[in-house]
Amino acid sequence: MTFDQMMLLLPLIIVTATPVITMLMVAVKRSHAVSCILTASGLLLALLSLLIVVRYPLQEVTPLLQVDNFNIFCTALILLAALAVTLFSYPYLCNLEDHQDEFYLLIAIATLGALVMVSSTHFITAFLGMETLSVCLYGMIAYPLHREATAQYPMEASIKYLVLSAVSSGFVLFGVALLYAQTGTLHFNDISVGITQGIADGPGSEYFVVASLLIITGFAFKLSLVPFHLWTPDVYEGAPLPATAFLATVGKVAMAALMMRFLSVSGVLDSPAIINVLTVIGVLSILGGNLLALLQANLKRLLSYSSIAHMGYLLIALMTIDSAITGDGSLGGEAVSFYLTAYVIMSLGAFGVMMVVSDSAHERDHIGHYQGLFWRDPWLAVIFTAMLLSLAGIPLTVGFIGKFYIFSVGVETAQWGPLAAMVIGSGIGLFYYLRIVYRMITPLDYDDPLPVAGIRDVISHGILLVLLVALVVLGVVPGGLMLLLESVVQSL
Amino acid sequence: MLEWIGLLPAFPLAGFLALVLTRGSLPRRIAGLIGVGSIGLSFLLAALVSIEFLGSGLDSHTQPLWTWMSVGTFTPGFSFYLDGLTVVMLLIISGVGFLIHLYSTGFMADDPGFARFFAYMNLFVASMLVLVLADNLVLLYLGWEGVGLCSYLLIGFWYDNPANGYAARKAFVVTRVGDTSMAIGLFLLFQQLGTLNIQEILTLAPQQWSEGQGMAVAAAALLLGGAVGKSAQLPLQTWLPDAMAGPTPISALIHAATMVTAGVYLIARTHILFELAPSVQLLVAFVGLATLLMAGFTALTQRDIKRILAYSTISQIGYMFLALGVGAWSAAIFHLMTHAFFKALLFLAAGTVILSLHHEHDIFRMGDMRRKLPVAFWSFVIGSAALTALPFTSGFYSKDEILLAALAHPQYGMLLWLGGVLGAFMTALYSFRLVFVVFFGRDNYQEHASHDTHHVSSAIREETGIAMALPLLILGVLSLFGGLIHVPVDAVFAHAGAHEETHPSQLIHTVMILVPIFGVMISYLLYGSRPYEKAGQHLRTQILNSPLGRFLNRFWFSGWGMDALYNFVFVKPFLALAQFNRRDVIDQFYTALAELARISNRALVLTQTGYLRWYAISLVGGLVLVIGIGVWA
Repeated sequence: MTFDQMMLLLPLIIVTATPVITMLMVAVKRSHAVSCILTASGLLLALLSLLIVVRYPLQEVTPLLQVDNFNIFCTALILLAALAVTLFSYPYLCNLEDHQDEFYLLIAIATLGALVMVSSTHFITAFLGMETLSVCLYGMIAYPLHREATAQYPMEASIKYLVLSAVSSGFVLFGVALLYAQTGTLHFNDISVGITQGIADGPGSEYFVVASLLIITGFAFKLSLVPFHLWTPDVYEGAPLPATAFLATVGKVAMAALMMRFLSVSGVLDSPAIINVLTVIGVLSILGGNLLALLQANLKRLLSYSSIAHMGYLLIALMTIDSAITGDGSLGGEAVSFYLTAYVIMSLGAFGVMMVVSDSAHERDHIGHYQGLFWRDPWLAVIFTAMLLSLAGIPLTVGFIGKFYIFSVGVETAQWGPLAAMVIGSGIGLFYYLRIVYRMITPLDYDDPLPVAGIRDVISHGILLVLLVALVVLGVVPGGLMLLLESVVQSL
Repeated sequence: MLEWIGLLPAFPLAGFLALVLTRGSLPRRIAGLIGVGSIGLSFLLAALVSIEFLGSGLDSHTQPLWTWMSVGTFTPGFSFYLDGLTVVMLLIISGVGFLIHLYSTGFMADDPGFARFFAYMNLFVASMLVLVLADNLVLLYLGWEGVGLCSYLLIGFWYDNPANGYAARKAFVVTRVGDTSMAIGLFLLFQQLGTLNIQEILTLAPQQWSEGQGMAVAAAALLLGGAVGKSAQLPLQTWLPDAMAGPTPISALIHAATMVTAGVYLIARTHILFELAPSVQLLVAFVGLATLLMAGFTALTQRDIKRILAYSTISQIGYMFLALGVGAWSAAIFHLMTHAFFKALLFLAAGTVILSLHHEHDIFRMGDMRRKLPVAFWSFVIGSAALTALPFTSGFYSKDEILLAALAHPQYGMLLWLGGVLGAFMTALYSFRLVFVVFFGRDNYQEHASHDTHHVSSAIREETGIAMALPLLILGVLSLFGGLIHVPVDAVFAHAGAHEETHPSQLIHTVMILVPIFGVMISYLLYGSRPYEKAGQHLRTQILNSPLGRFLNRFWFSGWGMDALYNFVFVKPFLALAQFNRRDVIDQFYTALAELARISNRALVLTQTGYLRWYAISLVGGLVLVIGIGVWA
């Protein structure tokens, strides 16, 4: 490994060092604030190190890791989301009757797993990254374990996620094994060549289709696509809010980016069978997610169902990124990248508002908790409303542009079925998002004092402001980001 | 300077936002300063831009403002377009708009909704500026609808009175009919030509359509529908007289600087489409002629000072349509400008009268006001003279141009000209009837006041601070000498080919000069003369009491029965239909959809059992399903 290649891995190295240093600090003296600051600065440092990375020639670092523009973009997105979750966690965890420090260790290591996932062009690293992320998530979901009153749900959620995630990992492994048997390679780039040869003198194309579908099933589980979505609401609801936010942003971005890389180079999308499957999964996810969210009163569950639908939208663009389908496939890639950015902003904003009014002892995750928010705390209500409108895809928000992007990709590739589902789904979505806004406007006739924002909430509110600005700016003048993404996707 | 034209609507828009977001908590001085200052800045910028543009010798200037996004080949963007026509409109809107705003600080000084008033006014001007600056029809439509919204808000400004709310709703609904027609026109243009950029349309249309072809006729007719609605021409003129419900400065703004001129602007801007559809263009002329005559007769019978002015606006816009219809584009814009001056003057002067007389509108309860309200009196005299087109006032030059152009029309020249001249006679008659009744004769106001306990303390005091007097003065000067301004629109309509120089006989000229004077004299005899007061009154009663006179008076007073007609033909059947369809048949469909979603939700929720074993088996089942689709489908 040359020095140049080392420098390219700088973010990974920094994020690896972060939990080690934090752990050493914990060994010396436990301090919630210090752990949080150390983790946050580690993530920030990794983010800044990207400025150094882009000065070096981007290339493959060993066959296992690939550093290119797309990787840098996803790394930045993941680090930003992880940083925001870290900072949101501090006020949330302050009144936890337990040690808080380990939560930050888990965040840092989970982020490392996510970063590995988005850098990998090889199944070894991809699997390693997925498992690193998942194992940390089990811990994060079950974190408030020693609190009698609230211990039941986190534990239940964690066990469910552990078992089901393990099953899905098994699917992926089985698929990878089958693929390896046929192609003799674990490298994404070599698969398509291997497949053509494998089909010529191997056991035939069904074999390859089954292998790919096993892998896609595993991926679809992590993206919580129908029919592999049943775990999502239970885990979202049971996990403490920072863990939910992390799962919903970092987890989804890493998985989607990995899937995008896999689909774009492996040649899997050349098979009409797989396109058929993805189409069915997409339509089911859009309709199922939106319908499930319709009457949901628990906001964590509601957002989990809405995430199912959003990942369904994303799948429409994901299906088109193979160059064989759309010419160069870059429009689909741009749409996916843009939508992921938008989704991170909106989800972080929505969960952020919930985190600001919640703490580890009392989570406000019921729609009733937000009744009359417009009169009780107009600032938070405005942010929440903006995030919900963006999730619903109202123009002049980033969510609209993202949706429009995907829609135009769908039109260009003539996917009329998923597009029809998208239209219907967006219509249904409007109902349940606006229902929350309606509740926020309806005055509350009893007193339910919100926590008063103190000095330690300054950062949380600052992040919310940044998210709001990003949401509006990217909704009104998205041109800059679009240009950036164009160059990002070309590197794939 | 030219690259700053994006700021023109931005100033009033910022003013609107500032006034709305503070929700009336600003002190009046500040609110007034924001409201007037924003328009003032716009006017200043418009003046500078105009000077630079006219000095540069450019034909047009396009200023891209913002590209929203570019997805594939789809790149919606905003640009402003500037040419001679835009310059004229900009100066009228911001200049006259500024004077009206300034006047309003005095007129509305005691109104509790002071800040709200200026917020709406600012938005109104901003929308109108967007309308004339837009380089594509969608942006123009945005301004168009913005103007519609603001007129609704302002006509219903005093919403405590349900009648005002009704007037506002009427204006909104009636103009909406025209807007719908225009929207369909836009769809048609886009579908046929593949673009909504105005200049591209104007280049493409002559290439794709031959003269008189069906599509061209349809497009022009649909746009005409929109123009007729906004400009209150037949058959959609009924909203304008009721729009008097708003405060008087609003009426000035709607009638002079904004709103009603939008239709004229639209036709002038897309004039090439109308040239491609000669039948529609002829229709424009006859709509204008019919409207100007109808409104002229109606104005003669009204008693409400503002309604008289309203019908006179309808009539004058009719002249502009007449000019557009005969292809005298620049004459139409010229008249639009002079009309903006003298109509603003008349309305603001009327506002002074109304305010001084404690919101009295009935002209027969006024009288002999020339000494008590000298500023209003002189304003009215100047304004009416210009409106009547007495020689050497601004209106004289513009109306003269229109009538000559009408005469030059190859087929119907004489008919159009005669109609126009008759209209000019009516104009003289009704405008000086107003002047004589209000400012001469016996003081009926004090008489009424002495009968009426409410008015006991109501001494007449002319309400003119400097803020109200200055606009009147400036507008008075402009009404007198505005005819000397040359509208720089030659380049815009250059290709239209200069109308061949016609040399009408001396007789024609003499007639056109004498007819208004003759009208003034008749109205003097009937309403103004002291020596013949008895005779005049006698004559009037005789005319009114003859069966025909009584019928015509009632018929014209009601605006030719149009309201009753529409009420009978449209409103009643619609209400009956609504009554019949109480349980909304179409709604059932949507209720069913909602119910379907609810049922699906209940069914799907059953899958969320919370049991891990069920989740695990569903994973396996899903995998089997997926592989099944993949292998067999």
